[in-house]
Amino acid sequence: MAFIEVSGQQIEVDEDGFLLNPDTWTEDVAKYFCKEEGIDELNDDHWKVIKYLRDYFFQFGIAPMVRKLCKDTGFSLKGIYELFPTGPAKGACKLAGLPKPTGCV
Amino acid sequence: MPLTETGLKQPVKANEKDLLKINMPVIPDDQKVEVALKHLNELGEKFRSLMLTFESCVKCGACAENCHTYLGTRDPYNIPANRADLLRKVYKRYFTPEGKFFPGLIGAKDLELEDLEKMYSYFYQCNECRRCSLVCPFGLDTCEATMAGRQLLHWLGMVPKLHASVGAAMAKTGNHTGLPKAATVDTCEFLEEDIMDEIGVDIKIPVDKPADILYIPSSADFMLNPNTMTGAAKFFHYLGVNWTISSEIVEAGNFGLLFDQRATLRANCMRVIDEALKLGIKKVVWGECGHGWRAGKMYLPGMLDRPGRIPIVHIHDEVAYYIEKGALKLNPDSITRPVTLHDPCNFGRACNMCDTLRKVMNASVSNFVEMTPNRERNFCCGGGSAILFDDPEMYDLRIKFSAKKAEQVRATGVDKDGEGILCAPCSICKAQLYPMVEEHKLGVEVKGLIDLVGLSLYPVKHD
Repeated sequence: MAFIEVSGQQIEVDEDGFLLNPDTWTEDVAKYFCKEEGIDELNDDHWKVIKYLRDYFFQFGIAPMVRKLCKDTGFSLKGIYELFPTGPAKGACKLAGLPKPTGCV
Repeated sequence: MPLTETGLKQPVKANEKDLLKINMPVIPDDQKVEVALKHLNELGEKFRSLMLTFESCVKCGACAENCHTYLGTRDPYNIPANRADLLRKVYKRYFTPEGKFFPGLIGAKDLELEDLEKMYSYFYQCNECRRCSLVCPFGLDTCEATMAGRQLLHWLGMVPKLHASVGAAMAKTGNHTGLPKAATVDTCEFLEEDIMDEIGVDIKIPVDKPADILYIPSSADFMLNPNTMTGAAKFFHYLGVNWTISSEIVEAGNFGLLFDQRATLRANCMRVIDEALKLGIKKVVWGECGHGWRAGKMYLPGMLDRPGRIPIVHIHDEVAYYIEKGALKLNPDSITRPVTLHDPCNFGRACNMCDTLRKVMNASVSNFVEMTPNRERNFCCGGGSAILFDDPEMYDLRIKFSAKKAEQVRATGVDKDGEGILCAPCSICKAQLYPMVEEHKLGVEVKGLIDLVGLSLYPVKHD
């Protein structure tokens, strides 16, 4: 198993670089991931999406439908892609410390 | 890790933990060859179709230019006959008299660990689309070799992480994306509000209600394809039937067909029937999923260990039936954007659905343009058999595998004003084509067929 080092902490990730345990997430983890997901710096809009994803995940056990994410955060799908160039399912979930979505997605 | 030591392109493999979740022990490397030969013998004895493919191919090469993976990569191992040969030459070496005594004369080869790695690479570069089978002058189903190869690799613990994760999610939640019941209910409520906002009609998406009809959606519809789920809801609402989805079976797909045609395929088939019995269902209606419908239509009846008394139909066939009966008032003039249709391989080449797709399409939209070739001669989207890998090497292959599709779409002209619709009525096709229309810069929006039915049945009012 692989680990990343964030703020002196060893955090376990899977083969795709997603956190193995969403509870090990910190804001510094999101900052750590942003370069490899093509993001220069995290602004308020990024944090709004990340916070929404984490809240939904801890309530329902999975990331929300992309349309619900857009509607509830007020960003268009295009807007989400501008914030997270690798997309909502991959980039945004990764920064939010959620597991990698599986299935035909 | 996209590259192995031998330089082969491979999807990330499931690790020991992942394998345990799908009830597969790890076979140590030094035992893999021996175990593989044992299972290859079993597969050969059991499947006549596989034997035909092994024995009758004369390497005429007709399949080469008909395979989009070869056209996109020009990698000789992506020629279907060559790909099948990875397994065929091993079979010949150990299980035919000439291979035992004169292997060099007939291209037979000892099995080594690196051959298994090569099989893992190339059997997961095959989309299992079966276009090669269509053009084979001997009628050989070359895909049988890929399927046998993947089965063998599965038994050796060589499964992509993607496929193993899906198997594990299925065992845990009954669907591929790992959607728990609470999220299913929440998403359905959200979609009901969405329908209300869009067309002002109160349409319910019932979950776990005793009903006449059990609708089996693809779990991807709960993540990426909301209009496919709402399209189906609109259709059932319009007919006024008593229908439900089940939180236990939010999954039209069956990855067993793609990596384990024994235990996994069968377990997923049984789940559907068990749940239908529990809810007192009179008819099961399958959603938009190509490989899953092939499993449901062509494999499920033969895999049940008891009489299958509940009819299982596909929603496309249902819609076509009610169109013919005159029971659906669709408004094709409400969709005037140019639309082309990608025939999913499993619908076109495995489930006899080409006419149905066109009947539904022509009734739903006003500007339908066929792509060429089409119907059972259509090319795969490049994502077939869920090789939707996204590590950079494999993602790059997906772009190459979809080059032929991009060429076909462009030739229809529907993309030229950037307003076109590419209808791809299958979740794997959609998951592949959403990013691929961007990669190939096609001016089309990817939609399902039931999405279009929903829009045509209840047109959105513009003020």
